Amino acid sequence: MSAGASNPEFVNARVRSRRASLFSEEDYRKLVRMGPSGIARFMEETEYEREINRLGTRFSGVDLIEYALNRNLAKHFDDLLEWSEGRLYDLIARYLRKFDVWNVKTVVRGIYTDASPEEISTDLVRAGELDDATLDRMVEADSVEEVVELLSGTVFGEPLKAAYEEYETTGMLVPLENALDRAFYELLLEDLGRPTEGPEALYVEFLQAEIDFRNARNALRLARSGADLDPAEFYIDGGVLFDEAELSRLVGDYDTLVEHIVESGRYGDRLSAALDRLQEADSLIQFEHAIDEALLEYADTLSSVYPVSVSGVLSYVLAKEREVENIRAIARGREVGLTEAEIEDELVIT
Amino acid sequence: MELELVNAMAQVAPILETMTEEAAAELAEGYALAAAAIAVGLAALGSGYAERGIGAAAVGAIAEDRDMFVPGIVLTVLPETLVIFAIVVIFLV
Repeated sequence: MSAGASNPEFVNARVRSRRASLFSEEDYRKLVRMGPSGIARFMEETEYEREINRLGTRFSGVDLIEYALNRNLAKHFDDLLEWSEGRLYDLIARYLRKFDVWNVKTVVRGIYTDASPEEISTDLVRAGELDDATLDRMVEADSVEEVVELLSGTVFGEPLKAAYEEYETTGMLVPLENALDRAFYELLLEDLGRPTEGPEALYVEFLQAEIDFRNARNALRLARSGADLDPAEFYIDGGVLFDEAELSRLVGDYDTLVEHIVESGRYGDRLSAALDRLQEADSLIQFEHAIDEALLEYADTLSSVYPVSVSGVLSYVLAKEREVENIRAIARGREVGLTEAEIEDELVIT
Repeated sequence: MELELVNAMAQVAPILETMTEEAAAELAEGYALAAAAIAVGLAALGSGYAERGIGAAAVGAIAEDRDMFVPGIVLTVLPETLVIFAIVVIFLV
């Protein structure tokens, strides 16, 4: 088989099996009624058995759940990259690099705040493309400069180096973090072009939706908080909903911003319920959940339209991320004593 | 390519004219057998291609769950029926 051949059949078969073992609505209903130790015990009887057992001696309570979730997520996503070949690998890696971004940010923040290497290491999610050896070396690094140096051969090398100068003069991490995010989103759509049919067209459409929603979310947050920040700094290129000038103009006016999202035919139908709620003007969190739900449903639809393609994998990745976030929300919610109804509001279940 | 074919025909034509009837019949049967062989071969190629994808998926499913072994094998060899039908062609000619 040639080096460029990909193996969507194999990966899809495995992914679908794993997708079936995700928590169901009923499981969540049970979890919402449990305390942190109960949740940990429940998890011990499922998918998460190995992680809970391995970490059980070192952590307890919500921390145990949190770290077990991260480890499990990393294990599954690492598997995806290990199985896939050729084109499929490329498409999956593009999306999973967001964990690389997360890890690099964690390391840089850790070094900035003088956290110990062990502390940083436990907070990493080893799911991205960077291998364990690189991550370990990064964690051991003494200065931010060393981290930038270590990453020089990777896709983040150039943008980080450029941002490092700014970091040196201002002493703030923001330029570094923005550079990472930007690099991630730029790579997301790079070289894909605008295919018009087939699974890859839908993949691109999905990523555009992700970028649009990210922009919308940032814009709404900025508009809500009324903070005096330049929206152009947070603008991510590649979406179809806003261009840069539009976004800058709309952030100033909350109502027109919402209207703009409603009127754009592309997401209007899918988000209509959420947008109604947003226009009634209260909860931004609800809207963000609605966005997540819409993305999830969208990915699911794609995976049934093109069963043997990257769509199925993508929908699994999203569903798994959601599960981890849901369990985390339940555990954290119970810890601070939220009521069951309040926690259920925080969950995104499809 | 076409030119070669025409040349070959030109060579064969005088032989056919001088051939006895039995010899011509034998030659025709030879061609029929060759055609049948090609048909079976193409069918095998097709089912092989189909099994490639199914086999990969089946191995994936078995890796996740050992119980999938039997269904996996059954589904993998399903396109093999193509070849079996193609073999019928051999008996027809």
